[in-house]
Amino acid sequence: MKHFGKARGLLALVAVATLAAACSSSATTAPASQAPAESQAAATQAPAATQAPAATEAPSASAAAKTWKIGYSNGGGVGNGFREEQVCTAKAEALASGQVSELTTIHRNTDAAGQLSDIRDLIAKGVDAIVFNPNDPNALNPALQEANAAGIKTISVDAYVTDPNTYNLYNNQVEYAYLGAKWLFEQLGGKGTVYYSRGLAGHPADSDRDKGFKKALAEYPDIKVVPSADGVFTGWDPATATQNMNDFIASGQYDKINGIWSSGMGKQTVDAIKAANKKFVPIVDADIGGFVAQLLDPTNYPGLQGAAVTNTAAVGGAGVGLALKLLNGEAVQTDPSAPQPNTVLLVPVLVDNLTDQGKATLQSWQSVKGLDPLWPLGLQIQGWTDYTPEQAVACKGPGE
Amino acid sequence: MSAVTAPAEAVRAGRGGILLSWGRRNAWTLGLLAFLVVMLAFTKMIQPRYGPIPVQGLATSVLPLALAAVAQAVVVIGGGIDLSIGSMMALTSVVAATAMEGQSAEFGVAVVLGVLLLGLVLGAVNGTLVVVTRVPDIVVTLAMAFVWAGFALLVRPAPGGLAVQWLKDLVVGPIGNEWIPRAAVALIVIVGVTWIPLVRSRLGLSIYAIGSNRLAAFRSGVPVGRTRFFDYVLTGLFSALAGLSLTASTGIGTPVPGPYTLMSVAAVVLGGVSLAGGRGGVFGPIVAVVVLQLVRTDMTFLNVNTNLAVVAQGVILIGVVMVGSLIQMRRARS
Repeated sequence: MKHFGKARGLLALVAVATLAAACSSSATTAPASQAPAESQAAATQAPAATQAPAATEAPSASAAAKTWKIGYSNGGGVGNGFREEQVCTAKAEALASGQVSELTTIHRNTDAAGQLSDIRDLIAKGVDAIVFNPNDPNALNPALQEANAAGIKTISVDAYVTDPNTYNLYNNQVEYAYLGAKWLFEQLGGKGTVYYSRGLAGHPADSDRDKGFKKALAEYPDIKVVPSADGVFTGWDPATATQNMNDFIASGQYDKINGIWSSGMGKQTVDAIKAANKKFVPIVDADIGGFVAQLLDPTNYPGLQGAAVTNTAAVGGAGVGLALKLLNGEAVQTDPSAPQPNTVLLVPVLVDNLTDQGKATLQSWQSVKGLDPLWPLGLQIQGWTDYTPEQAVACKGPGE
Repeated sequence: MSAVTAPAEAVRAGRGGILLSWGRRNAWTLGLLAFLVVMLAFTKMIQPRYGPIPVQGLATSVLPLALAAVAQAVVVIGGGIDLSIGSMMALTSVVAATAMEGQSAEFGVAVVLGVLLLGLVLGAVNGTLVVVTRVPDIVVTLAMAFVWAGFALLVRPAPGGLAVQWLKDLVVGPIGNEWIPRAAVALIVIVGVTWIPLVRSRLGLSIYAIGSNRLAAFRSGVPVGRTRFFDYVLTGLFSALAGLSLTASTGIGTPVPGPYTLMSVAAVVLGGVSLAGGRGGVFGPIVAVVVLQLVRTDMTFLNVNTNLAVVAQGVILIGVVMVGSLIQMRRARS
């Protein structure tokens, strides 16, 4: 009986596929969780009150007075420390707040059309709020309108979207560059030549940082910028950053500069200078673990003076915090100077290694156990996050 | 594989067995459909509020990949493969979004026609290179994938542009009844006016013929080179339609190709089209795309790590192909 055999084959097909679905649904392991909660790193600025709910709420989150279901969508940069930290801080905030019964994260590399479908899946799931890192400022609007129609709050983190009902929360990149450039120009006494190392050409964050850098430059007319007035791009690629600096040193131009402004590739730049046996000049960069470690290591990097400006990836956690504020009907202070309405801009902080106090702060950022060296160090955002640095590193959401 | 198109089998089945033979020829697609129904029931079970609006979203989500799968199926049936589908989608999508920005609805119609023509041209270039140079199609289309993606970046280095409103409205929401998504209707219309006449035409028969046995087709007088050329032209056309659907659903053009090329190959295999050519149709791959999307949706509903959804898709793919070969082996033995 040929026909019967075929029917059995089809049955087997259904069975295999169902099995595959069942297999994967039972294995809900979260990545990287080697850090036991140790409270010795209390030097970090987290208010002490946040320790309490973390310890008690976790298993009984549903027992709290009012709990919400939140969806989180990230459409790119899987494996990138900045994006991974966003997702982990979102999980940590959902857990630490004690107000989230379920956090559904869709964290994958996809295009705008793929993220549209992810957001629609979250809408179909019936979450109360969707926090997302947008792949495009305009492309997600159709799904965001559908979410709004379904009464779901939407919060865009790390970059803005143009949907008028969505809240935007991201780092103030103009201020990031201005703060660092001002510190550097002050170090040089307002006079000298500065190497301007940028990020990815055309990226909104890079363009905003350029605005901030130029704003500071306008205030210090005696500062000269090399290798060109518009700097040099690293593409946020470590290899390119190293190559740029090697070329610059080989051409002999390094000996004529007095300072370096860098857009996140400070570690590679410092290493290139060390490898060439050149004297360090003051440098300002982002709060990436590797760079801060160099600032705190006078043995291996003698005479290295520098500052780290926070460019926190905890926007994921802060986005969940903002979602909870909106769901609970709390007032949210927005920034009218932002290009979009309903925008919260996070203000960066600068810390240098010139004073003992600065060193202590850098040290406290660094001392979180199990922290991935690729993650930016600013794990918490005052007023927006409630978790401890250990919870962020543990990367566990409610019920995990 | 069960979706055999050899007419001999239909003759053997006799008049009374026409339905049976139709069922046998389309057993793979019918089996996939049954699987889809099971999956929909499972989805409804784990998420009782799964209703018309999520179904509309599902249709909108699958449209670009469904059209990419059709594009891939057309060329695979003819014994070829096209690894430049994703890049052709990116290029046609950015051209459409860029040309439409700030223009009237009427101009949008002209752009759509122009982009479809562009798709035909891209496919013709691919086809010419494959037929004339005799370099293996997998190499030619892989190389052209870089060329078309490069052109897409030249047209628009960053995502942007703006689709005309009517194009966006074409793929979002329902039409008539809330259970009938516009995107599904669009897909049925597109396939209805292109694929169904094609398989009944001389060209369609020739495509199946060169796919199942190129030498035999040549000896029977099928113009092999010309048929292969037109096969790639058709793939270009469907890729342009897929690119337009991307622009329609996002409203913009993205120059960096999405994951559509490899997903289209996966959908074609899962949809019962033999990678050796000559067997299968386009309905199987379309159902396969919906199944793959529903797997992802269910993973979200079950709160499973999304990376596992990709693993599940791969496991389903290899499982299905294994079962397919088992059926074939049993057949050969009996």
